[in-house]
Amino acid sequence: MAEMVDLTNIVDLTNCDREPIHIPGAIQPHGVLLVLHQSTLEIVQVSRNTQGLLGPAPEELLGQPLSSLFSDQQIQQIQQCLTENFESINPLELAVTQGEQAQPFDGIVHRWDGVIILELEPRQNLPSPNFIDFYHQVRGVITRIQKAPSLQAMSQVVVKEVRRITGFDRVMVYQFDETGSGSVIAEDTNQDQPYLGLRYPATDIPKQARRLYTLNWLRLIPTSQYEPVPLVPPNNPVTNEPLDLSLAVLRSVSPLHMEYLQNMGVNASMSISLIQNQDIWGLIACHHSEPAYIPYNVRTACEFIGQVMSVELVNKAASEDIDYKMHLKSLQTEFVDALSQEDHFLDGMAKLGRQLLGLVNATGAIVCSGNQCISFGQTPPKDDINALLKWIKPRFDQGMFKTQSLMQDYPAAAAYKAIASGVLALEISSIHRNFILWFRPEVIQTVNWGGNPNKPVEVSEDGSLRLSPRQSFDLWQETVKGTCLPWKASEIEVVQELRSLIVGIVLRQADEMALMNYKLQRSNEELDSFAYIASHDLKEPLRGIHNYANFLMEDYGDSLTEDGVAKLRTLVRLTQRMEDLINSLLHFSRLDRAELQHQQVDLHELVQQVTDTLEIARSQDDIEFRIPRPLPQVACDRPQVTELFTNLISNAIKYNDKAHKWVEIGTIESAESLPAPGGIPTTATPVFYVRDNGIGIPPQFTDKIFQIFRRLHGRDDYGGGTGAGLTIARKVVERHEGRIWVQSTPDEGSIFFFTLSPEPAV
Amino acid sequence: MTLSSATFPLLQHPMLIVEDSDEDFEAIQRFVRRSPRPIPMQRCVNGEQALALLTQTVLADGPDRDQAPGLIVLDLNLPGTDGRDILRQIKQDATLKKIPIVVFTTSSNPKDIQDCYNLGVSRYIVKPIDYEQLKRDIQSLIDYWLEITHPPELPELTP
Repeated sequence: MAEMVDLTNIVDLTNCDREPIHIPGAIQPHGVLLVLHQSTLEIVQVSRNTQGLLGPAPEELLGQPLSSLFSDQQIQQIQQCLTENFESINPLELAVTQGEQAQPFDGIVHRWDGVIILELEPRQNLPSPNFIDFYHQVRGVITRIQKAPSLQAMSQVVVKEVRRITGFDRVMVYQFDETGSGSVIAEDTNQDQPYLGLRYPATDIPKQARRLYTLNWLRLIPTSQYEPVPLVPPNNPVTNEPLDLSLAVLRSVSPLHMEYLQNMGVNASMSISLIQNQDIWGLIACHHSEPAYIPYNVRTACEFIGQVMSVELVNKAASEDIDYKMHLKSLQTEFVDALSQEDHFLDGMAKLGRQLLGLVNATGAIVCSGNQCISFGQTPPKDDINALLKWIKPRFDQGMFKTQSLMQDYPAAAAYKAIASGVLALEISSIHRNFILWFRPEVIQTVNWGGNPNKPVEVSEDGSLRLSPRQSFDLWQETVKGTCLPWKASEIEVVQELRSLIVGIVLRQADEMALMNYKLQRSNEELDSFAYIASHDLKEPLRGIHNYANFLMEDYGDSLTEDGVAKLRTLVRLTQRMEDLINSLLHFSRLDRAELQHQQVDLHELVQQVTDTLEIARSQDDIEFRIPRPLPQVACDRPQVTELFTNLISNAIKYNDKAHKWVEIGTIESAESLPAPGGIPTTATPVFYVRDNGIGIPPQFTDKIFQIFRRLHGRDDYGGGTGAGLTIARKVVERHEGRIWVQSTPDEGSIFFFTLSPEPAV
Repeated sequence: MTLSSATFPLLQHPMLIVEDSDEDFEAIQRFVRRSPRPIPMQRCVNGEQALALLTQTVLADGPDRDQAPGLIVLDLNLPGTDGRDILRQIKQDATLKKIPIVVFTTSSNPKDIQDCYNLGVSRYIVKPIDYEQLKRDIQSLIDYWLEITHPPELPELTP
C-alpha cells in the first residue's frame, strides 16, 4: 500500500538497521556459554555467569581443558557431535558435577567464527526427552497442518498447537508483505486485546534481525527484564574480534528490542522463522506476560512445526492458487460461452452481468462498444463516462489502466468519488472502441497499526538522532479518503487474462464472420452463375433448334407434307414455351437475391397503374376494377409489389369465365377472424386482398397453387402461362416478411389475402 | 489516301460479326444476305481473333485498311476473352472506339445491359427465340446502320 511505504520511509532513520546485533558481547543469563579451541577444546572464552551455574569462576575456567568440567565420555560425545551434523544431535545430555550434585544441562554445540561454541542450559526437572515424546508431540500437528485447506486454516492450526505446547499467553502468525511491514494473520491468545489484523511497520524488524531469522530459526527470550551477561574476555581470542553469536541460542538481544518488548508488556518471547524460498516469509511470534523458559526439546518441536509450516506454505499457496485458477477457469468458460454465442461483443458481455463485477470485486462496471455502453452496478453518470474514457484513453498501458484514487489525477472524478474512487479499465480494441471499466467506491479506509508507526525520534546526548521503540502499542488508526480498496495483483492478472481472452474471441468472431461472408458471397456468385447458365447456355441450343426448324420450313417447306410442317410448327412452339419457363425461373431466382429497396409507396396509385396497364392489354374483355377505399401508403419495394399486384390481378382476370368480370382490390384493418394459414390469424396490418368473381380454386389445391410451375389447368387454357405467377407473388410477400393465403369457392371466385409487414412482436 | 477525310461506310467496309455459335452466325448471315445490297461480312469466333483483326486492319497503316470494319456485332459470351473484355479494350482505344458496336446476345441480365451502355455500345439487342422477331431485328439493324445513320469517318491514326 502506497500510504504505508510513505510512512515507513519517513521513519527510516536506520540506527536500528546499523546496530550490530550479532556481536553483542553478552548472552542472556539463563545459560552459560563456553568458547572452545577448535582442536584442543581448551576453554578460551566464557560468559561471566559460570560461577552461579557451573561452580568455577570464569578465571578458573579460562585456559583449562574441557575435562575440567566434563567426563571423558561426555567430551567424546561433544567431539563426536562436532564431526556430525550437530543440528540433529543437539541437545546433548550433559552433567556437571558440582560438589555432591550433578547438575544436568542441555548442551548445544556448534562451530562458528573459528571456534567451538558450547552453550549449556540447566535442565528443568522434566522427564528426559526422547524421540517418542517429540514424535507424539508433533505428529498430530503435522497431519493437521498438511490437511488444512488454506493458508489461513493452517496458520490457525499452528498458533493453537504452538500455544498448547508452550503455554504462551499469545501465539501469532505474522506475515510480511513486500514492503517489509507485516500483519497478524492468525492468533491464539488468552489476552483481552486481540492483535489479529494489526499491522506493524517494517522498522519494527530491522534488516540484520531479518538476516539472523533466516540463519537461526528459533529465538527465545525467557524474560525481557534480564541483565545481559558479558563474555570474558570480551573478544574471541582466536580472531581477536567480538565473538559472532549469530547461531548462539543464548545471544543477548538488542536493548532496543528489550525496550520494545517491555513497552508492549511482553516479558517472555519466542519467535520461530517461517521461511519461503530462502527468505523470511513471516514469523510464529509467541508472547508471555510472565517470564517463561521453554526447554530445548519443546523449542525443537516448535521449530519443527515452523519448518513443516514453511514447507507447506508453498503447497497452500499452490492449492489456493489452484482453487483461484479453477474459479477463474470456470468464469472464463462462461465468458467464452457468453461471448461466442453472441455476434456482438456487447451482447455477450451484457449476458454476463454481475459476474463481471465479481471478477475483480468491483461495485460497478461499464462495457463500451462503439458509441454504445451498458452498465452494471453503480457507475458514474453516462455523460461523465465519455469524458472519463477520453481522459483514460491516452493513459492505457498495454491495454490497461488502473488507479486507486481517480480524483488525485483527474479532479472531475471528485463529483462521483463515492461510487468511483477506483477505476480499472481495459482496452479490448481501440479501433472498435471496445472498453471495460470497473469501479470501486471510496472507502474511508482504516489501517490498524500496532501503535503509531511513526517511531518517536529522540535526540541522544551526543546530539545525533536516535530511534527508540514506540511507547504505545495501542491500536493506531489511519484514515485514507478519496481512495478505494487496492486492486490486488491477482485481480489485475485476471483482467489481463480476460483481455487476451476477449481479444481472442473477438478476433475469432471476426475471422468467422469474414469466412461466412466469403462463403455467402461465393454461394451468391454460384447462384448468379447458375442463373446465367440457365439463361444463356440453355437458351443457346434452344434458339438453334428454333431457328433450324424455321430454316427447314423455309428451305424445304415445298418438299414437306402438311403434317410434316405442322410437326415442325409444334417443335417451334415448344422451344418458345421452353424459353418462357427458363425466363420465369431466372426471374424467380433474381427476385430472391435482389436487395429490397424500401420506400414509401402510394399503393392506390400503384394499383391504378397496374389496372391501367392490364386494361390496355386486355381491352377486348369486359372488366370492372373495384377499389372501394383508397389504398394506403406503405413502405415496400415498388417494382416487386407492382409485380405482386400485377400477378394477382391478372390471374383474377385470366381465370374468370364470367361475361362480366370484376376484380376488387382493398384492405381490411383487422384480419383476426380470417382463417390464415396454419390456423394462426395474422396480427399484421393492413391486410390487403384481391377478390374476383372467377372460376375459384378447389379447396384441395389452395396450398399447391403457390408452387412453382404448378398449374391446375391445361397449359393453353385460360390464356396459358408458365405457372410461376403465384410463386413470384408469394416470394414478394415473403421477402416483405408478410404472409399470403387464399380463400375460394369454386365457380364463385377467390380472395387472395396478403400482408407486407412482419407480425408484430407480442 | 488521306485517312482523315475518308468516310467509313458500311457498304465498303465490312460488318464484323463476333460470334462463337455457328448456328447463330448462320441465322444472322441468312438474313444479312437477304439485303438487296451486298454487305461484306467478317466473322471472328473469339475475342483474341477479333482484337487481332482490328489491330491489323484499323491500327496498322497498311493495305488491309479497306478491311477495317464499319460496324461490330458483338456477342457477349465468348470463349476466352469474352465480349465484355473486348468491349472494354476497344473503348479504351482512341481510334477503335469510333467504330459503332451493337451487342447481340442471349443475356437479358440488367447488369449486362447497364454495363454495356456504360462502356459506350451503340445498341444492345437480346437474341430472341422467335424466328420472325429475329428476322425483323436483323433487317432493322441493317436498315438503321446502312440507311439512317451517318457513318463516322475512318478513324485517324494516332502517331
